[in-house]
Amino acid sequence: MLSIRHLGFRYPVADVAALDDVSFDAARGEVLGLLGPNGAGKTTIIAHLAGLLPIQQGNITIDQRPLAEARAQRPTRIAIAPQEYAFYPSLSVVENLACFAGVGGLTGAERQSRIAECLAFAQMEHHANVRADRLSGGLKRRLNLAIALLHRPELLLFDEPTVGVDPQSRAFILEAVKKLAEDGCAVIYTSHYMEEVEAIADRVVFLDQGRVVQHGALSELLDSHGTLLQLAVEGGQVERLQALLAPFGDVVRRGPGVQVLLPDRRSFAAAISATEAAGLVVSQAQFGHANLEQLFMSLTHHSLRD
Amino acid sequence: MFLAMMKKELLALSRDLHGLAALFIMPMVFIVVMSMALRDVYSPVTKALNYAVLNQDQGKIANKLLERWAQESGVAHALPENWQDELRAGRLQYVLTIDPGFSTVVSQMGSKGEAKAHLLVEPGLDHALFEMKRMRLFAMVGQLQAEVLLAQMTTGVNVAALIDRTPVVAEQVSAGPRPTAVQQNVPAWLVFGMFFVVASIAGLFVEERACGALARLRSLGAKPWQLIVSKTVPYLLVNGLQAALMLAVGVWLMPLIGGEGLSLDGIHWGALLLMLLAISLAAVCLALAVACLVRTHAQAATLGPILNILMAALGGVMVPPFIMPPVMQKIADFSPMNWGLEGLLDVLLRRADIATVLPAAGKLAFFALLMLLAGFALFKRRI
Repeated sequence: MLSIRHLGFRYPVADVAALDDVSFDAARGEVLGLLGPNGAGKTTIIAHLAGLLPIQQGNITIDQRPLAEARAQRPTRIAIAPQEYAFYPSLSVVENLACFAGVGGLTGAERQSRIAECLAFAQMEHHANVRADRLSGGLKRRLNLAIALLHRPELLLFDEPTVGVDPQSRAFILEAVKKLAEDGCAVIYTSHYMEEVEAIADRVVFLDQGRVVQHGALSELLDSHGTLLQLAVEGGQVERLQALLAPFGDVVRRGPGVQVLLPDRRSFAAAISATEAAGLVVSQAQFGHANLEQLFMSLTHHSLRD
Repeated sequence: MFLAMMKKELLALSRDLHGLAALFIMPMVFIVVMSMALRDVYSPVTKALNYAVLNQDQGKIANKLLERWAQESGVAHALPENWQDELRAGRLQYVLTIDPGFSTVVSQMGSKGEAKAHLLVEPGLDHALFEMKRMRLFAMVGQLQAEVLLAQMTTGVNVAALIDRTPVVAEQVSAGPRPTAVQQNVPAWLVFGMFFVVASIAGLFVEERACGALARLRSLGAKPWQLIVSKTVPYLLVNGLQAALMLAVGVWLMPLIGGEGLSLDGIHWGALLLMLLAISLAAVCLALAVACLVRTHAQAATLGPILNILMAALGGVMVPPFIMPPVMQKIADFSPMNWGLEGLLDVLLRRADIATVLPAAGKLAFFALLMLLAGFALFKRRI
């Protein structure tokens, strides 16, 4: 559905490009996790898709049609649920919905029915006449979501949609995102919460300093990046352990021990044997798949939360 | 799309109590307070000054002088025994004393008498009022002297008629009602209030931008010109409401609270509407430019009112241009508020028609166009 090819962008006063040769696809019915630390280029990509920034380099197509053309024909096919509360705080929930429905071209009975449907989807019927600035953080996020759904978008962009919400609302939003994808929407989801992305994303794109450093199906990426071993030894000989395990894979210090990304499961036994053969006594060991955070660190050598 | 965006603007404004107070209550209060405070500047109270008379002469000419004085200045109060104390304390504003032998001195101009008419005023009396009273006394005594002289020279001639034919006429020209504090203050504070949309529009625009709602509107396909027009029209309506309210305050409220009423008799309504529209356009377009210029709520809340107060001070709203020095009057000519104020004064005081106010309206429209272009240029940078 969405295809981005060789997208490049530089803000007018910036020294470095915000996006550099970015390419990836998003399909209907799937959730694409867009991951990267602050300044990686996630919001710039979303701003392009929302029509807020001009394309300087590369191209974006929606169903094989240039983005500008697709947006000109029907701008509401792409909807954004931005990081900010993108609604009017002094207006009530239903007044906000009516405003954005009207701006997007919905009128009359269709507008009323869509407002009712979106209120129901966000489970906000009982808050319809409450001023938006008097809603809790979770309800504000739900209103953000309800507004995004008004025009039955085909591509939904979620930019950090769970920041500052309670666990119940977070669970609600994640369920809603999954359901929207199941109903046929293409969803692009950015978040700092890796466990959220692992829970809902079908595919992920890792961005760092404006470039795609890795992309693919979530499960394949996790599998292909080997096995993670976290090891601590008695006596606090971390530096010696780090040097000892360096031949087995990428090693970083982590707490009282080290973390090493092994290329395959067989290396696990060899790494433990080498440690013991060197006279070090293992005090703690963890072994398993790398998670997204660890995967990102192994690719970029810095954290997603940087 | 337009209707939804305009409705949103009006709803947001209707919930902004501070903004509403600045747009409607503040200019209304200014009109009432300033009209009452400045009432006597435009309608001097010379007749209402408390005065008493000490006539130690009782001659024919002294009596005639006091009789004429009373016709102009009202009836004298009874002279208290301690009138000097009363005068010093300001409870009597002036005392007219006539020395014994005054009538003789006036009627026999060659006599060497020292008798005089004295005007004694309280310490706090306005200097201009004192000068006016002094000159009137000079004039009246001079007239009495002239009458005596003419009567002696021309027996059989009607001296009073001769005196009345003095070839001097002085009057304040007016095409309409006599200018009053209300007549001056309603247009002044109406213009000021209309320009206060700057703070409201800028504040709401910054909030809209900061919360991401503006980006969402853009993503839904709203174009910059549509966003700007959707903000312009509601505030033109708001300015229209302001004008109606301020005129109503002048016409109906002021007389109820003891002030003089605003007279709209004989004004050219087309000219009034044209001026109001031009002022409104200038105010709203300036507001849009400021809204696109500022980055934060604090900037909007500061810059808007500062601009307003500066334009009002320079433009003759707070201080009438005719009492400014020439340099300041030249500067006032560059203030849009001055163009609006002068245009409204033309309509309300001088009964001007559309052709007469067209230059002022044209300047305001040109200013509006410049601000609109500036707003467009800045708009894209601020999304």
